[in-house]
Amino acid sequence: MAHLTLSNICKQFAGTVAVQDFNLEVEKGEFVSFLGPSGCGKTTTLRMIAGFEVPTTGKVTIDDVDITDKAPNQRNVGMVFQAYALFPNMTVAQNIGYGLRIRRESKSEINRRVEEMLALIHLEQKGKSFPHQLSGGQQQRVALARALAIHPQVLLLDEPLSALDAKIRVSLRAEIRAIQRKLGITAIYVTHDQEEALSISDRIVVMYEGKIEQVGSPFEIYNFPQTAFVASFVGTLNTAAGEVVDPANHLLQIDGVQLQAAVGLDGKQKGDKVSIAIRPERFNFIAQERKANILDCQIENITFLGSVVRIQVSVGSNRFYMDTFNNPFLELPRIGDKGQITCSREAVLVLKA
Amino acid sequence: MRRGNKVWSWIVMIIGILYFFLPLVATFVFSLKARLGVLSFQAYVNIFTDPAFVYNFSFSVLWAVLTIVVGILLFVPTAFLIRLRVPKLRSAVEFITLLPFVIPAIVFVFGLVRTFSHPPLLIVNSPALLIAAYTVLSMPYMYRAIDTGLRAIDVRTLTEAGQSLGAGWGSILFDIILPNIRVAILSGAFLSFAIVIGEYILAQYLAKPAFAPYMAYMIQQKAYEPAAMAIISFALTWAAMGIISLVGRGTGQAQVGGGH
Repeated sequence: MAHLTLSNICKQFAGTVAVQDFNLEVEKGEFVSFLGPSGCGKTTTLRMIAGFEVPTTGKVTIDDVDITDKAPNQRNVGMVFQAYALFPNMTVAQNIGYGLRIRRESKSEINRRVEEMLALIHLEQKGKSFPHQLSGGQQQRVALARALAIHPQVLLLDEPLSALDAKIRVSLRAEIRAIQRKLGITAIYVTHDQEEALSISDRIVVMYEGKIEQVGSPFEIYNFPQTAFVASFVGTLNTAAGEVVDPANHLLQIDGVQLQAAVGLDGKQKGDKVSIAIRPERFNFIAQERKANILDCQIENITFLGSVVRIQVSVGSNRFYMDTFNNPFLELPRIGDKGQITCSREAVLVLKA
Repeated sequence: MRRGNKVWSWIVMIIGILYFFLPLVATFVFSLKARLGVLSFQAYVNIFTDPAFVYNFSFSVLWAVLTIVVGILLFVPTAFLIRLRVPKLRSAVEFITLLPFVIPAIVFVFGLVRTFSHPPLLIVNSPALLIAAYTVLSMPYMYRAIDTGLRAIDVRTLTEAGQSLGAGWGSILFDIILPNIRVAILSGAFLSFAIVIGEYILAQYLAKPAFAPYMAYMIQQKAYEPAAMAIISFALTWAAMGIISLVGRGTGQAQVGGGH
């Protein structure tokens, strides 16, 4: 039995469909990210779990208990907001203990739990500070502690790091993940940052225009995107229009150049149009004799990206990126040079329409 | 060019100060002439020892306090819910809150007398009608002060944060919203206080004891005491303003979010 279940969720706002046919089962202790561009329905879905929005149709259950029509304050769901939403009139300790005070816990229990939470977020000395005396990162840690203090069944995080600068974002996301693992709490994390989703999640739900595009582990989402949207949204990807040549042998061609894929042409006929995608890091310059997937190219641009060097090549009318790890002994081609690049059959991804 | 501008600024400012303060200074000096040939506070002593003053002024203070309490109870939840649930109504409500500026008090009071002087709502003699009328009169100050306070905080997110922690509407209002708009509420309260203390028409036509009708009566009877009362009235208003700026200074309005 799944811990959190969203069944056939649809949400409409004044005739506009925000979320449709959303089905998801989340296991206890799992960290699931909703990833997608602005307006894709990820926050609306999160707000339906929190109870701030009511689904037009569908059902939300936690441990098989239907909470669809329960008020937000009657669900045991903790939430961390993008804008921190700490109560400015309360100290850090009062903020963390507020949910317990509402639950009429004893003073000693509140103090014990507040101290436990302060230790968890490494802010033991800040209990008496007010939110405006803390940095953004510290405020968000307090917001996390406040949400966790009430022992929620599910923890919801709505783009909690997007107001922070890059360095703090990276360290805080690792901290959030460590705390989530330590407590074994089920977490739903909304983000539009693919790197954040890939680094923090057990599973990612990629959303686009109110629908689920793909659900999978970060590895699956990155390496085996199933739709053109997922392919374009997650990571850098070379895409091209192709045509099936020999479905039995997984052969296809792009702009007259023949390529062999490993999978993805089942049910296709010769002459069918398909979209193909290849990650930049899957391309190599040809170092030895190869029989398949040889692409004649011309170097168009070379960009240093720190640990990686990105080379832009033209292959017929297509332009592809090729990534290679940077090292001091790397011999790079020059712009205008002609050469050949290749990739394995497994690197050629045939996308669903 | 700049120097010329500065000189003109000073001239305009001095004219403004003279325009506002000369009558006040003249009134103050006049109020000190109750005793022949010497300047004294005799007029003030006469007022403060007059039982009628204490009686009328006490009632005015009572009306002001009740008006503030009713105003807070009525306008805080209204402004909060409009901001949270029906933001589309904000412009309509803002228009309504400005109506007391547009409708003359005399028209307002005759409307009240005509409406509430016969059954089923025969309450023209009840102090409740006066308080209700004062609440309407102070609405532009009280409502807008509260609304401005709410604008300074992220009402929606704070409310949702409270809800997610299990708080109901009462707890959210009293624990989270009210403490974060207390400066705004105090501003509205002191402005309402000043309005009610100086209000004449409603108290006079609804026949209730109050400071302004007493002052009007004294004007007809005495020479120096009304001038002293005008100064007292000014002093009260300024004291209210001073307290607003004192309370507002340093505390600021609470902000959601913050630096990184």
